Amino acid sequence: MAVTTRLAWLHEKTLQNHFGGKRLSLLYKGSVHGFCSGDLLDRCYNQGPTLTVIYGEHRIIGAYAEKSYQERKAASIILLALQETKISEWELGLCTPERLFCHDNVKYNSTTNFQIELRNRKVIMGSKTTEDLGLVQNCTISIQDCEVFRCEDLLDERKIKGVTELRKSLLSALRTYEPYGSLVPQIRILLLGPVGAGKSSFFNSVRSVFQGHATHQALVGTNRTGISKKYRTYFIRDGKDGQYLPFILCDSLGLGEKEGGLCRDDIFYILNGNIRDRYQFNPMESIKLSHHDYIDSPSLKDRIHCVAFVFDVNSIEHFSSQMIEKIRRLRRELINAGVVHVALLTHVDSMDLITKGDLIEIDRCVPLRSKLEEVQRKLGFALSDISVVSNYSSEWELDPVKDVLILSALRRMLWAADDFLEDLPLEKQVDVFGGVEA
Amino acid sequence: MEVTTRLTWNDENHLRKLLGNVSLSLLYKSSVHGGSIEDMVQRCSHQGYTITMTYINENMIVAFVLGNYINLRESSTEPNDSLWFSLQKKNDTTEIETLFLNTAPKIIDKQLVCRLSENDIFIIRPDNKIYLDRMMIKNLKLRFYGHLQFLECEVFRVEGTKYNLDYTKRIMKAREHRNKLLADIRAYKPYADLVSEIRILLVGPVGSGKSSFFNSVKSVFHGHVTGQAIVGSDTTSITEWYRIYSVKDGKNGKSLPFMLCDTMGLDGAEGAGLCMDDIPYILKGCIPDRYQFNPRKPITPEHSTFITSPSLKDRIHCVAYVLDINSIDNLSSKMLAKFKQVHKEVLNCGVAHVALLTKVDDCSEILQDNFLNLSRSMTSQRQVMNVHKMLGVPISSILMVGNYASDLELDPMNDILILSALRQMLRAADDFLEDLPLEETGAIERVLQPCI
Repeated sequence: MAVTTRLAWLHEKTLQNHFGGKRLSLLYKGSVHGFCSGDLLDRCYNQGPTLTVIYGEHRIIGAYAEKSYQERKAASIILLALQETKISEWELGLCTPERLFCHDNVKYNSTTNFQIELRNRKVIMGSKTTEDLGLVQNCTISIQDCEVFRCEDLLDERKIKGVTELRKSLLSALRTYEPYGSLVPQIRILLLGPVGAGKSSFFNSVRSVFQGHATHQALVGTNRTGISKKYRTYFIRDGKDGQYLPFILCDSLGLGEKEGGLCRDDIFYILNGNIRDRYQFNPMESIKLSHHDYIDSPSLKDRIHCVAFVFDVNSIEHFSSQMIEKIRRLRRELINAGVVHVALLTHVDSMDLITKGDLIEIDRCVPLRSKLEEVQRKLGFALSDISVVSNYSSEWELDPVKDVLILSALRRMLWAADDFLEDLPLEKQVDVFGGVEA
Repeated sequence: MEVTTRLTWNDENHLRKLLGNVSLSLLYKSSVHGGSIEDMVQRCSHQGYTITMTYINENMIVAFVLGNYINLRESSTEPNDSLWFSLQKKNDTTEIETLFLNTAPKIIDKQLVCRLSENDIFIIRPDNKIYLDRMMIKNLKLRFYGHLQFLECEVFRVEGTKYNLDYTKRIMKAREHRNKLLADIRAYKPYADLVSEIRILLVGPVGSGKSSFFNSVKSVFHGHVTGQAIVGSDTTSITEWYRIYSVKDGKNGKSLPFMLCDTMGLDGAEGAGLCMDDIPYILKGCIPDRYQFNPRKPITPEHSTFITSPSLKDRIHCVAYVLDINSIDNLSSKMLAKFKQVHKEVLNCGVAHVALLTKVDDCSEILQDNFLNLSRSMTSQRQVMNVHKMLGVPISSILMVGNYASDLELDPMNDILILSALRQMLRAADDFLEDLPLEETGAIERVLQPCI
């Protein structure tokens, strides 16, 4: 029989989060290893913090020991009852593992209040315990199965060290990045998305990673009106006095629900490279060709090489049909114009049930996977074109876990830009060098 | 003391991938649980597949995967396979060597001993000493001999849906085979150097995965999933242009010896999708890259970009009929009629052709164990027989691939399918080139003129 837990995914996640982001490593499973307290203890002595989970007929109860079980040494035990995603706790106090698991003929007495009799496949509880755990008045629970897990930190020192190394290698890959065929000196990435999706915050986050501390150069607005009314093309330095990095992030006015927001025509002027940095958008009409911020004959290096659609991961399910229609239409127009685009989901840390420990193995994260599929279904992006990040907002110092997500997202945008440049017809590639008039 | 593995996070991820996307749960750690082999066995028996890791020093690990620790008793006669590894860190890279043995360690005199034809080839002693014989040292490419003190021994349970040793074996062989295919295709040269690149035309219904196949091929050669050809996930086709894609061997690599020609999708309705009259011109190489198709009006020799005297290198050398494997049973009669028309043109031109079935779900089921051929159960499948009957394509020319459009990571099994498909197309193109009449290989223009 396979040694895998009976816990449903949601239950396991609820327990993991309850103890502050733990991973549960299964050590013992009654139905596989036999309901024998001696065997359980042999496997579970000296394993660090453990969680014992008992599956009754209708309920799941648990016993958490913060310290390793050791032979004949009392450990502090916390009892819990799991109902849906709610956990009620009750402190049992000090108890030896032998007493808890009814080993070596330690008999139940009223002062124990709680005992797991594996051999008889039942749990005996005092009435006070039962009541405090919010269980129905019934002092014995028959055991269907019993599992013991070691609780490991999802984000321990070892993993932080690994993430830090990954961050380092990503940083060096991005610093030494060269656009395909050296066709342009820098890649221009346009951030496009609804108001408040986190476009400016993403720029701030990227800048922060390369500055070495959290920065907030672009003003960020969370209210419905949005703050970025000017078109901004942000160059980023590698450190305070460092070289310019090989990419430029272009921040625009947010996309409005119906009217207002960035106009469609302006988007295409931006894509072509017709609009100068700091142009003041007018949501009512697109830029006039006579405007002093209008560039007449932009070259390949001035145009956008990759568009990143930025969405708040929590907002996607609430998108109005107009917004979805708008994005799909825009995507289609981009495809026709041969512009590559990717999607960036922000605020991933604020999703339900997600803890920081999940962010280091984001690809294995179940709720995120369904979110990605939703984006694919609703908006039509390929899964491999969607990145997720958690932007810097209120922090002062950097966090390697966030950095890795931000840098990976940026790398994916640059890959897409390379695809775009490789796909250009030869005559357009040459334009740059000749500076031919459009 | 904390029960945490000594493995770095990076090495753990590497190992998990190597074994086939598994999870590892630490069961035993000698420095915490004591070095007694009995205690180790007590904790690790009946846990399913386990991996036992001995850390020789900071940069060297010797490990083995076992089916079940229960068979460790000397008296046990159950047959037992084991998979052995060495991981050695050199500078920034980790070198991994593997070895399969059809023997497994047993407990003898409080030691863990592995015997092969009467010889002790591996011993772990309770005092943290390890012994490996010459054969093991050689196969695992280690540089020590005899007994050696190790730092630590850890045992993990290997968790994964359906995990077993054969699966790991297969994944590892698959990686090897993939690398061989990659090398073959890189070194490929068209027959008699008649042309420098083979042009492969992808034809098929809207949404059958023509552009995705190009993306998949590019992904394999670039090492990450890419999407240069923008793919539609909605029902309407994205491709309206004729595109001739060349693929580079990595971002700054050389161009590979083939080009993939992507067309607008076929549509069952009249006046929609690729125009039938465009097909002969495509096959003969008269249509340039980036020509915009018009479903109602085929290209004519008067068109400004029409190539009037294409040479052999401009022609299509192999046609792939692309079909979504899940839609084969529901092809409309109109679609089928269009396919037959295309097929007729292809036969007229004498061009090589294959069928490419896309969007296969389970890539690992399709190939024989040695990856050299499609598995028999697959070739006798309804869909394959259907395609064989409908289009008259021989079964050996019906190829299958999964697509990377909905995937985040490359899968060695799918890589093999993609590369094998590509190789079969190149072989078919060679046959076509070899079969050409001599005068066509030299003076293609003159021969072609009259038929246009």
